[in-house]
Amino acid sequence: MAGSTDRAAVIMLMASFESNSWMIEAQGIGRRFGLQKALTDINLQIAEGEIFGLLGPDGAGKTTLMQILAAILDPSEGACSVLGFDTVKQTASITSRIGYMSQGFTLYDRLTVDENLVFSAKVRGIEGSVYQQRRQRLLAMAGLTQFSGRRAGNLSGGMRKKLSLCTNLIHEPPLLLLDELSLGVDPVSRRELWQMLREFRESGTTIVVTTPYMDEADYCDRLALLDHGQILALDSPDAMRRRGEGSVFELETSRAEEVLKVLADRPELGGVQWLGNVLHILLRPAATLPTDVLQTLQNLGDLHPASASLEDVFVQMTAPETAVPIPTFVPSSPTPGRAPALDVVRLKGVTCRFGDFTAVDNVMLTVPAGEVFGFLGPNGAGKTTLIRAMCALLKPASGEIQVAGVDVVKEPMRLRSRIGYMSQRFSLYTELTVAENLSFFAGVYGIDGSPRVEAIAWASDVIGLGGMEDRQVQEISGALRQRLALACSVLHKPAVLFLDEPTSGVDPVSRQRFWQLIQSLASTGMAVFVTTHYLEEATYCHRLGLMYEGRLIAVGSIPDLRSTLSMEESASMEDIFMAYIEREKESEEVTEAIR
Amino acid sequence: MNWRRLMAVTAKETGEIIRDPITIGVSVLLPLVMLFLFGYAISLDVENVALGVLDQDKSPASRALTDSFVQSGYFSLIRDFETVEEVEASLQRGKVKLVLVIPSRFHTALMRNESPAVQVLVDGTYSATALVAANYAQAIVASFRQPARPSAVQLEARVWYNAPMRSINFVVPGLYAVILMAFPPLLTALALVREKENGSIQQIFASPLTSSEYIVGKLIPYGLIAFAQMIMVISIGFFWFQVPFQGNLGFLLATAFIFVFCTVGIGLLVSTITRSQLTAMLLALIITLMPSFLFSGFLFPIFTMPYVLQLYTRIFPARYFVELSRGIVLKGGGLEELWLNVALLLLYTIAVFWLAAWRFRKKVA
Amino acid sequence: MRLASLLTKEIIQFSRDRVILFLILWLYTIEVVICAYALSFDVKHLPMAAIDLDRSVASRSLLEKFSISEAFDVAGYPPTMVVAGNWLDGGKASLVIVIPEGFDRDLRRGTVPVVQLLLDGSNSNTAAIARGYAAQILDRFQQEWLPDGASATVQVEPVVRVWYNPDQTYTSFMVLSMIALAALMVGVIHPAASIVREKEVGTIEQLMVTPIRIGELFLAKTAPTLAMGLLSVFPSLLIVWWFGVPLRGSLLLFLLLTALFLLSAIGIGVLVAAVSKTLQQALLLSFFGLFPLMFLSGTLVPVESMPEFLQTLSLVSPLRYYMDVILGIFLKGAGIAELWPQALALFVIGSLLFGIAIGVFRRQLA
Repeated sequence: MAGSTDRAAVIMLMASFESNSWMIEAQGIGRRFGLQKALTDINLQIAEGEIFGLLGPDGAGKTTLMQILAAILDPSEGACSVLGFDTVKQTASITSRIGYMSQGFTLYDRLTVDENLVFSAKVRGIEGSVYQQRRQRLLAMAGLTQFSGRRAGNLSGGMRKKLSLCTNLIHEPPLLLLDELSLGVDPVSRRELWQMLREFRESGTTIVVTTPYMDEADYCDRLALLDHGQILALDSPDAMRRRGEGSVFELETSRAEEVLKVLADRPELGGVQWLGNVLHILLRPAATLPTDVLQTLQNLGDLHPASASLEDVFVQMTAPETAVPIPTFVPSSPTPGRAPALDVVRLKGVTCRFGDFTAVDNVMLTVPAGEVFGFLGPNGAGKTTLIRAMCALLKPASGEIQVAGVDVVKEPMRLRSRIGYMSQRFSLYTELTVAENLSFFAGVYGIDGSPRVEAIAWASDVIGLGGMEDRQVQEISGALRQRLALACSVLHKPAVLFLDEPTSGVDPVSRQRFWQLIQSLASTGMAVFVTTHYLEEATYCHRLGLMYEGRLIAVGSIPDLRSTLSMEESASMEDIFMAYIEREKESEEVTEAIR
Repeated sequence: MNWRRLMAVTAKETGEIIRDPITIGVSVLLPLVMLFLFGYAISLDVENVALGVLDQDKSPASRALTDSFVQSGYFSLIRDFETVEEVEASLQRGKVKLVLVIPSRFHTALMRNESPAVQVLVDGTYSATALVAANYAQAIVASFRQPARPSAVQLEARVWYNAPMRSINFVVPGLYAVILMAFPPLLTALALVREKENGSIQQIFASPLTSSEYIVGKLIPYGLIAFAQMIMVISIGFFWFQVPFQGNLGFLLATAFIFVFCTVGIGLLVSTITRSQLTAMLLALIITLMPSFLFSGFLFPIFTMPYVLQLYTRIFPARYFVELSRGIVLKGGGLEELWLNVALLLLYTIAVFWLAAWRFRKKVA
Repeated sequence: MRLASLLTKEIIQFSRDRVILFLILWLYTIEVVICAYALSFDVKHLPMAAIDLDRSVASRSLLEKFSISEAFDVAGYPPTMVVAGNWLDGGKASLVIVIPEGFDRDLRRGTVPVVQLLLDGSNSNTAAIARGYAAQILDRFQQEWLPDGASATVQVEPVVRVWYNPDQTYTSFMVLSMIALAALMVGVIHPAASIVREKEVGTIEQLMVTPIRIGELFLAKTAPTLAMGLLSVFPSLLIVWWFGVPLRGSLLLFLLLTALFLLSAIGIGVLVAAVSKTLQQALLLSFFGLFPLMFLSGTLVPVESMPEFLQTLSLVSPLRYYMDVILGIFLKGAGIAELWPQALALFVIGSLLFGIAIGVFRRQLA
């Protein structure tokens, strides 16, 4: 990644000599939907062999732009040429050559892996031995060879994305447009996807990607940051990071409350994050804190400047001008020696089976009140199954589950008023307004009259839904829906909250806000269980549980996890994760060998 | 038009259909059920009408009159009433549908060459039967003469086409139209809208497939299903129900072919207008299934409708196919007699496809 | 209170679902109106071809009787039988009447002339009715053309009185049967679509985590349909009034029995939803189930004309009993004394279906 800046520079230099060889050239692209302007004055040049990333919050216009580039949507203004062809006048020449992967899982669920591939190939005229060769290579790369006869609908999320990618690579297109390539895909599969992409890039394929994951942004040669339909910045990842130089500080402290009092209402402040026992402070672009403030902070802890991450730059550029909400809490410190709190969840020997497939294998765990506990693991590891067992949505084959003082297996009905649950799909009623959804869930939990009004007001306030009450859910953005779903699940102030991939597909700013909410809820004594694919979010949790093939292979805070395997301080979440999985695989092989 | 690409679409669509057991099941069973129900149950013919008699005369003449009703075969004598109240109660409960009231001086009047009046009370609620039954009753009474006397004019009625006058011969050819109108539009419309709804259609847009390749490729399996349904109905109609086949099978199949295209095209057109599966289904229901059942001449004759509504029926292609179908099967008609219907059907089909092609673009918005 | 919240939500969703609202409106109004005007089994304006080989006063008089009758329209006078045959083939005429040469002379002499009638038997029902009307016209003609001096034939005069439908139209029947059909369709499709949609979207899972009981959910899915079905009676009353169909019985009784009927419909709808995974499947299955029910109810075809085993089968169709109810209450002014067997049947079938539906619903979600 150190070389990416150079690479980008080289590309730009080379291409500028041959101005006709841009793969994609967009000039003054604008697009309107009714009265709404989705895109304004987009200018882009993408060179051959580049990996180009398009970032931006929900509703920024990324998908619209991708559709225009793929020539399946015409711009309202401006012109765009792809592979040398005009997107409006020569659509067929473009669509017959490129590979385009739209958002979501666009496969034919009832057809098998092979049938999906064959369809894509035949439609592009790839047959016979050429097809066989490519098919073998692609399936091997994706790790799908032994699943070729399985129906696409029965594959896990990660496998489906890989299959989708294969169907778009079967004709080895010169240009690949991938909209939200790895959304909802676990880290292991994501690595594999990117490996596949890099291999193809080596043979000259140009790739344009939109992604919500900041670590993937780093794989790109250049990035464009889109917000409200306009490009805010266009640069290599390194260059982007440099923009944030001098704006980021980290403060290691045990007196967080006081720090927050100092920082509150400061106009220079761009954002604050609580990561373990470190406060990550971000300033607005070109702002500096007055010396006296810096002095005060230094007295409160260990203050040092830090390098800006892409996410920081992102937040800097897209966060609204008004004051960023400051966390008004002090999350319980994850350092050892804290006072033991009441255990609110107890799992003993929990096993769940579907037929002869063991989804969850003998899991033991205790979690105290007020803890944010994160489940990480590859797709199919059993995280969702375990959470559903804890919510009484399914019955375990054996074991004991105690949640909020209720024996879940024996008395599932009693459990329901004490827990909150937010599923991946944010199950809201789309035709109802925000207020109506809140009212419904309040009623369902037995809250009526003035308590209901209060609860709804509290939820709206804490979660920031003010002003949106009368909008129908189908009209509001994904990030708002996510917050609404959270609000609906905590109206009754449950003792334990279960969140299954709650931040899927949401932009970094909204995600940060969301995690602040979770942490503030936890500080009121709520235990929160979260599953997530965003490894960077693992740092928000007090403790993590790593799941692999149904087993809980590691439990502990991040420092604990690191020290158990004697890893470096600088080891990233991903490294830790992969290390534990390696260890598990090795011990499996050993057990196999012994037998 | 690249046939390979088109076939790929057809193969994919077929793969999906095969794995949807409910759709397949209903596609096979529903026409069968319709056929058997219509075949066995439908007798628009009136028989065994529940008859009651209030004989206030109880003379040989009155008994003879009652007999002539029973002998006609249209009526079943259920009750002999004694009082008017009984008659009313029975009619109200629907125990009898028609009551013959013979007055007390019936025989005497006849002897004196006076024309006695006899009352026929008909339960008019189930009008279908009621009016026919009333007609028969009138005819029977009117032709009752004492003593029996030959009429001045004799009516000789001969029936052309469907001499045995079995309702089923009338119904089955019309049923082809209904079945072909019931399924293909619905299934095609849903198939296309589903791809719109789940977004997979974007992949199709961003591929070498042309609109026509995609559309035709997708429609072929549904057209084949419709065709298979029709062949099934024709065979069962012919072999099991003994519906005679006067005309040219090839001609019928050729027109059926056009009609299948037409109905499938309508489904396509509907899909270009709607965004959700539910809307597509309901639209299909209102503009295809119900009219084909009610307004195509299948069961209810068109010529009795007010003129404005007769024009309304011309909007629905099922009407043309019903005429064609009956014309061929029952009357043995060929192109010379039925060319107008064929031409209209062709025109309709072309119009539908042209409209659909105009609306369907390979663009998201 | 949970139930109240569920019901509120259902009502809001329903009122914002323009598609379903439109459908219900259409079925209950426009479709009824069109059908009532258009559909009938009667014979009117039947196109007739006339071949008059006699051209006498008598023959013209006979033909005039045919042309003034409502049943027949003289479409033309084909010159030869062959041409007439072509007309029949092409559908230009549905029957041909042939008056032989010497008709007038034979009438006076008392040698019985034979008038030929050629009928298009494709629609056997029409043909039978047409034949009946023709015979009647001929009969009336005979009465006027008796040779002088012959003793008047003593004839019996039929006085036909059609009860409950004095205008002898199909309209009343049509209007009422369409309303009954609409009730059935809406009663089945609405709960089915509502439940399957929640399944597809995934909100059912969310509900299962809350304190909501399965029974409450079931009620929330079915009660609105019931309420709506009953409320729709009122707009259809407007249509009924428009067509001059009388309401001779008790409206209250009608509402009660309609409610009983809707129980069966809703039960079927829930069962369909239990088995379906997608909306398409639910809709196809609904049709599959509705069709035989509609058929065996006597709306299209009289039940008495069906073979034994189908008649027995029709005893299971709730629509059959409901038809008796709706026709009885509106046209006959029937009360509970007359309709109690139907009410009982509806109650039994309804409770059975509803009970099974609850059981299946419970099992699926537990």
